[in-house]
Amino acid sequence: MAEISMEQISAIWEERCCTFPILSEEVYRRHDPDMTTYTELQETFLLVKKHALGTVVEDLVIERIEQEMRNNIVPKFWNYFEDGIVDGNGFETFRNAVDYLYHTAANFTTLLDRIHVMRNHCDMNRLVYGEEGMYDTFKVILRSTLHAQLPLKYQTVIEDFYKVSFKVFCKSEKGNLEKDANESGELVVSCGGCDSEIETCRCEKIIEYFHNVNRQLIELELLESLAGDVLTALIHKRIENHVQETCQGSFDKEYIKDLEDWLQNTVMGWLMKIYNQEADTSCNESIQKSIFKFKQKLMHFMYETYTKTRIDQLFNIIIEYPDSDPAIYDLRICLEKTDLRGFLIQKFQRALETRLLHSGVNTPDILTAYIASIKALRQLDSTGVLLETVTQPIRQYLRSRNDTVRCVVTNLTEEGPGDLAEELVRGETDQVDEHTSADAEMENWETWKPDPVDSDPMKTPKSRRTSDIISMLVNVYGSKELFVNEYRTLLADRLLSQFHYNTEKEIRYLELLKLRFGDSQLHYCEVMLKDVYDSKRINAHLHTDPNFDLSKQPYPTTALILSAQFWPPFKEDTLELPATVKERLAVYTKSFETLKGNRTLNWKPHLGSVNLDIELKDRTINLTVSPIHAAIIWHFQTKNQWTIEELSLELMVPATALRRRIAFWQSQVFWSYIVGMLTNLDSMPLERIHQMLKMFASQGPSSVECSVQELRLFLDRKVREHKLLFSGGFYRLPKT
Amino acid sequence: MADQNINPFSQEPTTKTTPERRQLSQSNHAVSRRLQKELMTLMMNAEKGVSAFPEGENLFKWIATIIGPDGTVYEGITFKLSLEFLNNYPYVPPIVKFTSPCFHPNVDLTGNICLDILKEKWSALYDVRTVLLSLQSLLAEPNNDSPLNQTAAELWPNQTEFKVHMEKFMADMRKQNS
Repeated sequence: MAEISMEQISAIWEERCCTFPILSEEVYRRHDPDMTTYTELQETFLLVKKHALGTVVEDLVIERIEQEMRNNIVPKFWNYFEDGIVDGNGFETFRNAVDYLYHTAANFTTLLDRIHVMRNHCDMNRLVYGEEGMYDTFKVILRSTLHAQLPLKYQTVIEDFYKVSFKVFCKSEKGNLEKDANESGELVVSCGGCDSEIETCRCEKIIEYFHNVNRQLIELELLESLAGDVLTALIHKRIENHVQETCQGSFDKEYIKDLEDWLQNTVMGWLMKIYNQEADTSCNESIQKSIFKFKQKLMHFMYETYTKTRIDQLFNIIIEYPDSDPAIYDLRICLEKTDLRGFLIQKFQRALETRLLHSGVNTPDILTAYIASIKALRQLDSTGVLLETVTQPIRQYLRSRNDTVRCVVTNLTEEGPGDLAEELVRGETDQVDEHTSADAEMENWETWKPDPVDSDPMKTPKSRRTSDIISMLVNVYGSKELFVNEYRTLLADRLLSQFHYNTEKEIRYLELLKLRFGDSQLHYCEVMLKDVYDSKRINAHLHTDPNFDLSKQPYPTTALILSAQFWPPFKEDTLELPATVKERLAVYTKSFETLKGNRTLNWKPHLGSVNLDIELKDRTINLTVSPIHAAIIWHFQTKNQWTIEELSLELMVPATALRRRIAFWQSQVFWSYIVGMLTNLDSMPLERIHQMLKMFASQGPSSVECSVQELRLFLDRKVREHKLLFSGGFYRLPKT
Repeated sequence: MADQNINPFSQEPTTKTTPERRQLSQSNHAVSRRLQKELMTLMMNAEKGVSAFPEGENLFKWIATIIGPDGTVYEGITFKLSLEFLNNYPYVPPIVKFTSPCFHPNVDLTGNICLDILKEKWSALYDVRTVLLSLQSLLAEPNNDSPLNQTAAELWPNQTEFKVHMEKFMADMRKQNS
């Protein structure tokens, strides 16, 4: 290195200060062509080169720039944010701040240019803060200084800025649509975008400023570092709100397409605007790339938000299945795109616990929900793994209910809302198809997929897929025998309470059940149905053949002849029938003995039904009642008043049972009272009717209490018979 | 503070001695029993077009329904009435009023009724059922000698005009009430 004198140094310093005014007290001088012409500059740089002072000079300049940033520019910039948002001026504040920063930074251009020239002259090649170019180094300094001094409230201001502009943007996007709507009459006073009055709408100005600010930020490479977080948070919030608004409480429509379109058009459109990229111009590749990446992230976020929303609603969705099929379809697609299976299982199980699996819910309702879950979850996940995992608590809970089997059997063999009967019919075809489906599986081996990781390795995928709703219900309780026994009891109840000999439907169900449970299990039931069928034949024969006395009777007597050892044991109640009825039965027995030779009948007088006419002063009532009811009322023909004890002796029925049976006739009294009160008081809720009955209709110590529950059943029956109307919790009489 | 033990239907001063009070409550109980029985008779032998039932917990206040008799201007119209029994019922008649508008020579604009058996001709042998049946026949055959509604009494002979007037009257009343 050449020796240099102090004079020379001071001379060079003078030059430097002229070239880089920042080094003296003046921060930056306006570009002055007279002062520093290109030749002058060259001379200076040659001098610098000669003494190898380039690095020193550059360090000095950089340090000065940093100082300036730290002490003046950045504090002043952040000072704009000091007050947060006052009177909704966040937009203006941010615009002014960025404007200031941009123009201040622009003043450094000359300076940076010169460093650049100096570098070229001195053949300097070094990285400052990891950047090759001086301009980039400057931006790093700016960025880091800004971040070093972040004030508390800066986010609210930036958020406000983007919120306002997003609103304006959304409005202008759908502007055409709204214009049509507005023409239809309503006077719109304020603009939907900027909230100011229509005449003073600032939307256009806002969009212009918005573009300007974004351009400035992009040039300074500050957009992401300064506004990135805020922008992402804002968009996320937007997406959440939009998803909520769109799909809240409606399950009968698929939304994924709509949501994707919305994200593509509205949100991405807005982002493009921020980056000043109109969709078709392909200018900066890196920006394009980062936008694309951003879009993917947002898309994922949207799926996740939507999935979570649907998972939160899953219980309701399932209850409404199959009406909610579109929601299930959406959820299936979403689950493939997101990693929320675990979340779904956890959430849904918690919903089950709080909404279904507690003592407040009736077993049939739990079963209905379980069946809906099976149907819906099978759509959601065809492997059945999800279904198996999620519904585990339901099965466990159902096991603790002692009426589960009964409810399932009832549901199976009666047409109801559960429509298990339908499923039973379908099950038949499934079993026939079993082989073909296995073959089909082999054919599609290329598309084979392993079971999800949370599946139970003890079970084969096939068992999971083929297990249908009925097997799942039967398996809740374990054994087939239990199930079949319950079915037999129910079948006996039904056959003995209906007395219509129409067993076609029952036979059909029995055949279906036989397919599932095997012939031997259901042999008893088969005999029972055959008994009913045979009885019908015998009755017809005895009544038509003139050789028997039956055809001459004033009223017909028919019998159900049961093979005792095949039927479930009957409750052995005693009942002494009126003498005239006993005579009839004796005649029937005799005829039967004649017909069947060495067989006889053993009557169960408490079972059966009686059709009778009750003649009142002004009308006759025809009723079909049980023998004991008939016997009770029969005895009032001979005597107007009976004590319970007398009647109990006469009928051979215990007093407690008798009291219960009398309640039936009392309910007839209740009905007159109910008609009376509704005629005069118009409409009443259940509780009030009950209260009135208690007060006015049941008098004396022997009165029979009718519980609210019983009354409701009674009233509901009257509603079904169209003798009452029920709406909004009130009962009233139909208009005559 | 009100004494909880006072019979609410008693007009007597509160300084009554205990035996007298018991007697009073006994008679009250007898009235309840009689009303209870009347209600049962009424419920079990439903007459066509008349009905009544206690309005609430209080057995001494009833609401009655009378359907206008066939073949009269009132045919098909449902009238509501209020019945109030005093604690010396059945030795005094119940207080009976129309609560739904009724344009009739013997019924005034507020629903008061002029009927001999509800006044001087009352007998303890009458009951709710007979009262309601009498009122039903009063609708068909008014007593024009002692009218409470002069207009109605004057219009009565001309049934067509009466009906026109009545319908206007009912519409006006409905408008007033709503």
